[in-house]
Amino acid sequence: MAFYKAKRAALLLLAPFILTFFLFQVLPLLWVLVNSFKSNMGEEWGVDNYQFILESRYFRQAIYNSLKISIYSSIAGMLLALPCAWSLHRLSGRLKEATLTISNMIANFSGVPLAFAFVILLGANGCLIALLDQLNIGHGFNLYSAFGLILIYSYFQIPLAILLMLPAMEGLRDEWQEAACLLGAGKFRYWLNIGLPVLMPGILGTFIILFANAMGTMATAFALTGGNYNLLTIRISNLISGDIFLDPWLASALSMILVFILMLVTLANEWLIKPGRLRAKVK
Amino acid sequence: MRRSNSIGHLSVIIVFMSIMMLPLLGTLLYSISTSWSSGMLPDGVTFKWYKILFVEHRFLQAMMNSIMVCLGALILTLILVVPTAFIVFYYFPFLKPFMNFIILLPFAVPPVVSSVGLLQIFSNDVITLTGTPWILLGAYFTVALPFSYRAIANNMANLNLQDMLDAAHLLGASTFRAFFTIVLPNLKTGLMISLFLSFSLLIGEFVFANILVGTRFETVQVYLFNMKARSGHFSSAVVVSYFLVIMLMTILAGQWGKKQ
Amino acid sequence: MSFLRAQGLEKKYDDSLVFTHIDFALEKGEFVTLLGPSGCGKSTLLRCVAGLTQLDEGQLFIDSANVTDLPARERGIAMVFQSYALFPNMTVRENIAFGLKMQKVPLSERSRRVIEAIELVELGGKEQRYPSELSGGQCQRVALARSLIVRPRILLLDEPLSALDARIRKNLREQLRSIQKELGLTTLFVTHDQEEALTLSDRILLMNHGKIIQNGTAEAIYTEPANAFVVRFIGNYNLLSSTQAYQALGIKSEKQIAIRPESIYVREEGRQYADHVRHPVRGQVVDYLLLGNVIRYRVNVSGVELLVDLLNRSSERIFPAGAPLELLFNTREIREVDEDTQEAV
Repeated sequence: MAFYKAKRAALLLLAPFILTFFLFQVLPLLWVLVNSFKSNMGEEWGVDNYQFILESRYFRQAIYNSLKISIYSSIAGMLLALPCAWSLHRLSGRLKEATLTISNMIANFSGVPLAFAFVILLGANGCLIALLDQLNIGHGFNLYSAFGLILIYSYFQIPLAILLMLPAMEGLRDEWQEAACLLGAGKFRYWLNIGLPVLMPGILGTFIILFANAMGTMATAFALTGGNYNLLTIRISNLISGDIFLDPWLASALSMILVFILMLVTLANEWLIKPGRLRAKVK
Repeated sequence: MRRSNSIGHLSVIIVFMSIMMLPLLGTLLYSISTSWSSGMLPDGVTFKWYKILFVEHRFLQAMMNSIMVCLGALILTLILVVPTAFIVFYYFPFLKPFMNFIILLPFAVPPVVSSVGLLQIFSNDVITLTGTPWILLGAYFTVALPFSYRAIANNMANLNLQDMLDAAHLLGASTFRAFFTIVLPNLKTGLMISLFLSFSLLIGEFVFANILVGTRFETVQVYLFNMKARSGHFSSAVVVSYFLVIMLMTILAGQWGKKQ
Repeated sequence: MSFLRAQGLEKKYDDSLVFTHIDFALEKGEFVTLLGPSGCGKSTLLRCVAGLTQLDEGQLFIDSANVTDLPARERGIAMVFQSYALFPNMTVRENIAFGLKMQKVPLSERSRRVIEAIELVELGGKEQRYPSELSGGQCQRVALARSLIVRPRILLLDEPLSALDARIRKNLREQLRSIQKELGLTTLFVTHDQEEALTLSDRILLMNHGKIIQNGTAEAIYTEPANAFVVRFIGNYNLLSSTQAYQALGIKSEKQIAIRPESIYVREEGRQYADHVRHPVRGQVVDYLLLGNVIRYRVNVSGVELLVDLLNRSSERIFPAGAPLELLFNTREIREVDEDTQEAV
């Protein structure tokens, strides 16, 4: 059959994609996985790297800081994005379009330029800081602290959360609220029994993406603190391209810890959404 | 219930927009001010930072480098992803869940982790790609892959590929020909939107560019990072110029979306 | 006193009128249909009765009490939506029990009534399913059970059948009617399907352009259409302009003439006809269509095409295209109708 012949040829055409994906995505990960078990400058096999990381206060702090900033900024981003997404969902026309376009741009406005913009606004000599000083509020604010990082992370989390939550909100149908209303449920009961449960998979999924996004990002913090703030990604980067001391094997072990955390939350998300209960299929 | 632009929702959005625009507006203002020591407003307005910027060879080179490498990576992504998506959807639909899984990998493996491996794999005696823009093409392919595959796959799912190809075959077209004359034109809008959005995404990439290539082939992000010792007004002008590129891309994507 | 009474209802959106001067009444246990083409305002009218949309003018009474300003959830009205509006996060049982839960009905009574309701709509065994696992027809039964379980004073149905396929639609429609009769429910039903309206309703309110054009039983609407709009909307009619009427039948009239296809006969030799069967004219068969027990002929009479329905009796031969016929008309069934002079609102 010609179709089967074509099918075999098609399989061949997949080769370039598979090869590139393997070379640039799978192989590096495999390399990291394998080499994370090589210690003593790559001379010995074993779990020494992991042991070293878990016993080191410094690396434990890096993991803790990464988790802390990711969780706080994801929660803050989510809490601020929810009402915004809801209002946006309720609006229509040009204003909605404009807000979406700007959210899209700001979601891409992260990393080095964002760090610079924040320094100009809120850095030690930032113009907003000068203004706040004159008004005698906000003393002791430090952009280069954990709080400063949470603030700047939240900034790029909010538009992302809005863009991710909006489709879920569009899935909430007016008739559900009307039907609930006719059956005697007020606004509160509607949100408690229908609105929130229907949105829940979307909220959880968005939260996971925000969290993973914050865990994996590096540019913003790196540009802001010049690699001085102790984060997991910054530690990895310093171990492979720093000036002082290079240890790609230790970097690999740190990387595997990061990948493990990210895979864990991704799987948790899959697992939470899987049961039919939370699956809101909208016809 | 009719949707009305009620005051409450309107004010939420306006407050939100104002806060989100604040860093941008601050940077814009800073980039056109002579100096800004204290107070609400800068001391004077000037375009001198832009004048300096637009004749600086290193900046123009960095912009050029960024655009070249992003375009290259996007072309590579398209060449690899479009046929793959078509083959998966038309010949091997049972591979769809597998594809959906593997495009999640870039999310679970952040650039800094991939860099650890890439740096070792591509800097040996046989192939030395590190320090050259070529390695960025491959690395950026993995960054753009999830978004472009999603966009293309969603588009294909709406096409009813099987019937379309059957009809084309009955009318005498080969699969190869049908792909170019029927499938591709139908994907055009989705492709263009994903191209513009991926472009903004890639031009904002810093980690790969900094670790794998560094100053030997400076992208605009790396350039900006290396300029941190220069005047804040000057780097503000870089930030604003960079943002204008993102804005242009987003608006272009929006325009293509509307055409549909 | 009628159970539901509407007086002078009016609704507009930004200066454009949706409906105006709406007056009607429903007796207890009556099944009344709001029939009209899409965009005639019938769905908005239904939503106003439910209290989901605010009225601009007029009064609504239920059981003699003025409910015009009462919020939707206090009116004792239940509604079934075209899109079912089932809560996707709840099972069939949870969906049906929702109204009782809101009324804080005790658990034992609640589960008894849920079982009854599930039996009533024949959904036994599907209690634990989610809406996404049900077919459209099953979804609509759940929606119906969810509305009935709270024992509403009035049941509103907003095109509940139009999203379903033909066979299920017919089935569910009969079931709906029998449940309604069994429970003696006062029901207001919205549809754009004239066949559905004619077969289901005790009474029909025919709407066009935001006004009620005719209010009457199915039979009255069918046999005594109020104007040309009703004739066209109900369909199946020969509607002739006054020139066509004169040209074909020699009837002189200022108005349009409406003739039902089943009130036209083919003259048979040697048969006696009643006095009111007159106006013999000659025509030629253009073509015919078998509609089961009826054969519908298209007959050309002096350049005017008429539809003629004859019973499909096997003993009689079918007239082929081109066959000459002599037609007779039941003059009692020839109606003069006005054009719908109501202006679009």
